[in-house]
Amino acid sequence: MSAVRTSRARQGSVSRALARDRLGLPAVLFFVLAGVAPLTVAAGVIPTAYAATGLTGIPAAFLVIAVILGVFAAGYVAMARRIRNAGAFYAFVAQGLGRAAGVAAALVALLAYSCLQVGLYGALGPAAASEAAAHLGVHLPWWAWALAGWAVIAVLGQCRVDITGRVLGVLLTGEIGVVLGETVLGLAHPAGGHLSFAALSPAGLTSAGAGTFGVLAVVAVLGFVGFEQAPVLGEEARNAGRTVPAATYLALGLIAVVYAGVSWAMAARAGAGQVVAAAGREGPGLLFGLGGSGVLSLMAQVLFLTSLFAAALAFHNTTWRYAFALGREHVLPAALGRTGGNNIPRAASLLQSGTALAVIVFYAVTGGNPMLRMFFDLGTAGGFGVMVLLAVTSVAVTAFFARRTQGENAWQTRAAPAIAAVLLTGIVVLAVRNYAALLGVAPGDPAAWEFPASYALVAAGGLGWGLVLKARRPDLYAVIGLGARAVTAATRVSR
Amino acid sequence: MSGLAGTGLVAGDLYLLAHDDVSGRVFLQPRALGLGLAGALLAELVLSGHLAVRGGEFGIAGAAPPGDVLARQVLGVLAGERERHPVADWLTFLAVTAPGQVALRLARAGYLTRAVSRRPWRDGRWVPADPDAAFAPVIRVAAVLAPARRGTAADVTLAGLAVACGLGSRLLPYGPAGSRGRLDAAVRQLHPDLGEVISQVQAAVDSALLAHRV
Repeated sequence: MSAVRTSRARQGSVSRALARDRLGLPAVLFFVLAGVAPLTVAAGVIPTAYAATGLTGIPAAFLVIAVILGVFAAGYVAMARRIRNAGAFYAFVAQGLGRAAGVAAALVALLAYSCLQVGLYGALGPAAASEAAAHLGVHLPWWAWALAGWAVIAVLGQCRVDITGRVLGVLLTGEIGVVLGETVLGLAHPAGGHLSFAALSPAGLTSAGAGTFGVLAVVAVLGFVGFEQAPVLGEEARNAGRTVPAATYLALGLIAVVYAGVSWAMAARAGAGQVVAAAGREGPGLLFGLGGSGVLSLMAQVLFLTSLFAAALAFHNTTWRYAFALGREHVLPAALGRTGGNNIPRAASLLQSGTALAVIVFYAVTGGNPMLRMFFDLGTAGGFGVMVLLAVTSVAVTAFFARRTQGENAWQTRAAPAIAAVLLTGIVVLAVRNYAALLGVAPGDPAAWEFPASYALVAAGGLGWGLVLKARRPDLYAVIGLGARAVTAATRVSR
Repeated sequence: MSGLAGTGLVAGDLYLLAHDDVSGRVFLQPRALGLGLAGALLAELVLSGHLAVRGGEFGIAGAAPPGDVLARQVLGVLAGERERHPVADWLTFLAVTAPGQVALRLARAGYLTRAVSRRPWRDGRWVPADPDAAFAPVIRVAAVLAPARRGTAADVTLAGLAVACGLGSRLLPYGPAGSRGRLDAAVRQLHPDLGEVISQVQAAVDSALLAHRV
């Protein structure tokens, strides 16, 4: 039977049953958005970013970065049709730029997602502490709540794999509803009675020179983290060739509108000249106060906590999946790639829990504002890492399709990846040069070079380790980047 | 019941390995159990010479139908399908029904009985009729792990499938140090078709885990 004649009507019962078992577009989109955690960004990242950077071009940055990520996504989803792998970034880099580069990308991804996960405790702790003090009369330091959240996630990671899709779906719908509600109310009551569109103007992107854009881009990319997850479900999605791109573009569009809208509403409500000072004073309260102090505000505060928790759990699961996949491929110790009872990857989960504990203790002992120093510094470090991965991945996509002539159209395989590679590389350079401005520290501050340097170190280590594997364990090297399929490829290689 | 040597069938023994010998509680996520048992049913047909793997797909061999009812049923589904599917798709397809089918076959042979749930709104569940008989497959696998012993192809396939679907942490402690490496080596010595089924089960379970679907 030819492929053309295998229409739905003529499909065998096996194909129909397999299709029934797969995920449709709504399920894939929900999965992607769940990792995005809208309220964590709206109440956590955006006000902190206003305060730390002192820049007011954040709403415009979300729109511009959405367009750039849209260009990136064209090549990304085209490659996802060819390469089915749960760890898309490093699999693509391994295929496009060589397996040693793939190892480097994998370790950069592990560090980036780990930073994102651990940083969330820096917001969860203070948010829970202030809610408990205000509503329950319980007064405990932020780190006590951070440790409590950590303990729950550490236990969940050891006894069950994921919270159910339905719970996440309800929370997510609530979050988006609350953010939209606050946005509308904020825009309806602008400071001085006049709604200004200045915050959406591209002029704000370079308000303090070209470097401003590098800083704003990291913040915006941090907001979009999670949009890249759709290819993870490539093998599980019904009609993945269409579902994965659709979920990716829909998520990008939705996030862009929601975040640009809510950050604009904050600037409008406080007044463009006052929003930075207001953000420094009120923190997440900048969002909760947009629509006054009614039921919506209370809902927003409660959902902010659940959003942070769900995001911390989601990133915990993303991180251990990376460590697990790398353990399976023997790039990291094989123990990380093993599972215990109920198919739970205990070692990989413990590794992330242990890292998080160490970081929480470090920030608790050294002091400092957890929202700024832990949540924002580690969050932006994660966002920066993802940006580096986006840039390297678009180079890899360009290289991958340069060696292949047939298939997708030229925009997806040639132009878009090349344009994305140039733009994203430029943004990474700008971000590195202005990292101090991102963190809101003096230009000579060690933190301004420590974060970018740690990625360079990890990438160099990964590249070196990749080359060591190539020389000493060519059998392992040959299957790097194949993910779960490494084991079937290895049996064929060994025969 | 054939005493303490296991059921003699790979899928039956894998089912018993995956469940507590007294309470019948499962040690695997549902999808991993299904994929493991689907692989075991297919491996039974490979072992009996009814199936072969050619270019990543199953080919049907042997004229005489299998004696076992369930094996005949599975072979019938494969033979009756007009489209061609890779091994991985057959695993996913059979994974849905395999646990129920294998449990029923074990019940008919006297290994499992139906226990009524204490909560009236829940269905009953399968529990081992005799814990000693239910534990026997563990002994069968432990024998494969011992350095001095060489298991049969069916024994090694059982052990390989068990580790592939996630029972390694339960079974490997029954063997001496270095069991994992010895088992890997024994699996590599198997007929390539059996090795292919085992590695496809491993890949399917890993990939479900990585795609958040276990």
